[in-house]
Amino acid sequence: MTKVTKYLESLPFKRLLSRRNLVTYFVALAIILTLNFLLPRLMPGDPLMAIYGDEALVQMSPQLKADLVQRFALDQSLWNQFGAYLKGLFTGDLGYSYYYNASVFNVILGRLPWTLLLVGLSLILSTIIGIFLGIESGWRRGSRLDRGMLAGMMSLNGFPDFFIGTVLLLVFGVTLGLLPLSGAVTPYSGLSGGALLLDVLKHLILPVTALTLTHLAAAYLLTRNTMITVLKEPFMLTARSKGLSPRALKYRHAGRNSMLPVLTMTGIWVGTLITGTLFIEIIFSYPGLGHLMYEALLFRDYVVIQGVLLLVATVVLTINLLVDLSYTKIDPRVGYAH
Amino acid sequence: MHISMRREVSHSNAGRLGIGLFALITLMALFAPLLAGYDPLAQSAAAFQPPSAGHLLGTNHVGQDIWSQLVYGARTSLLVGLSVAAVATLLNAVIGAAAALIGGLFDRMTMRMVDAFIVIPILIIMVLLAAYLRPSLWMLIVMLSLLSWQGGARTVRAQAFSLKERMHVSTARCFGAGRWYLIRHHILPDLSPILVVGFIYSMRRAVFLEAGLAFIGIADPGTVSWGIMMKEALDFSYMNAWTWWLLPAGVALSLTIIAITFIGYSMEPAMDPRLREEVEGEAIA
Repeated sequence: MTKVTKYLESLPFKRLLSRRNLVTYFVALAIILTLNFLLPRLMPGDPLMAIYGDEALVQMSPQLKADLVQRFALDQSLWNQFGAYLKGLFTGDLGYSYYYNASVFNVILGRLPWTLLLVGLSLILSTIIGIFLGIESGWRRGSRLDRGMLAGMMSLNGFPDFFIGTVLLLVFGVTLGLLPLSGAVTPYSGLSGGALLLDVLKHLILPVTALTLTHLAAAYLLTRNTMITVLKEPFMLTARSKGLSPRALKYRHAGRNSMLPVLTMTGIWVGTLITGTLFIEIIFSYPGLGHLMYEALLFRDYVVIQGVLLLVATVVLTINLLVDLSYTKIDPRVGYAH
Repeated sequence: MHISMRREVSHSNAGRLGIGLFALITLMALFAPLLAGYDPLAQSAAAFQPPSAGHLLGTNHVGQDIWSQLVYGARTSLLVGLSVAAVATLLNAVIGAAAALIGGLFDRMTMRMVDAFIVIPILIIMVLLAAYLRPSLWMLIVMLSLLSWQGGARTVRAQAFSLKERMHVSTARCFGAGRWYLIRHHILPDLSPILVVGFIYSMRRAVFLEAGLAFIGIADPGTVSWGIMMKEALDFSYMNAWTWWLLPAGVALSLTIIAITFIGYSMEPAMDPRLREEVEGEAIA
């Protein structure tokens, strides 16, 4: 561990990446790995059954069972088992799903793009709209517009994502029949090119709207709060006395500074958005990781749940790391602070 | 320097609205047996009855009275919300304060642990745990509590750190006050606003997570939950029943969460006085 941090600290961005954050990500990953490893092995009964689920076990031949026991080192001490588990992970082996009849790695890889599409679009949309509304609202603090927007956003924040999702589905999909009910593309339609793109977009509208709506309030509330504190800073008075236009004041001086906390939170928000997609994908039967996890839960395909957890954790941690790195680009003060 | 949370809440519109809504839901939970009219889990009529005088919101797919389920659902939500918030607040107070007061390696280790848990999406951990353990309601409360104290512990620690160095604490220590005396008489009273806010936010999260987990099928089958109601109603979305089945459950859940959000929001100026309304600043000027 110390070797790794030392190496990273020797890189050009050493000042940007604090050792504290690195340790945090390492601990987070360790917690997930330990959980994934220990949970099935501490369950009463056959650990092989706990790893693969009882249905998969019925289909296995004795030869395969013996192979698996050997591969997971299940007949050895817990430490050796952990070693075997880690070794498997480093070679990209997340296990084999008997329900999907494919390696967990491939099952997940097939679903990942859809989730990334959903989460990415919603994150971008909700952050941009949230920041914009937050700046406008904070600038007009106390006005009727500000108070209305604030109350509206706080109420919106109270609606659980799965409720917003179901209502959108039932109103626009079921009752009005305007948009497709489920899936990411129309099955067996044989579409290609522009028509396919249009089809994908049509399927995206409702899920993305649901996710954006639930996430909008977080970006808005944070930007508005920062905006209010930033507007009281002395540099705002200076800028005003220089005779800058209200637009320059609002966006270039106050707005830019109000965006910083939003950026810090992006890493955490990716986590909440991925959690949100879990619900949204289930509601719209959208073929991403969330829906995969739901299916795996229904069929007790434990290896798949573990794989998704590991992958999502890695993605969230990596994004947090990237946010740390990009932070200094936007706020040079951070670089000098160390 | 002591902050009165009651004053903060009762002096803001959002706070009053939140308290009012929350009181309404609490009353509904307390008087559930009187309001319900039917056993929420028993079959009381034929399935899929539309709303009528006997069944205010009709019946569901197995003939259970939906209004009774709605009323009893408040009990589950509040029970989970309040218990998880209580345990989580206790944990974050003890661990946060201990980290600040003991310091050193203990502090560093607990804080790295806390940071790690803040980054990990806990719903997915809950799904994995639930897949293996198939939790009962109490088990669910324990699991949620263990996964929701981390954020609070961080703020408690920061506050306890600054309190530790304040003049009145040093003075008390100078006069021979012991560690526990200091904690009870000087640290805890000034930590309480932070603990209250932490309590509110843990409750909000717990209410949301309980319903959300029930919605994806992770729930104690013996309980009545708004999340379960929504899930069951969604399975029959092709019928018109959702308007009196899914909507009331979703609205009740949303109102509960909105009430808690408003109460929490009205406390924020106490945490960050810069957010206070201009009026007070002008009065001083």
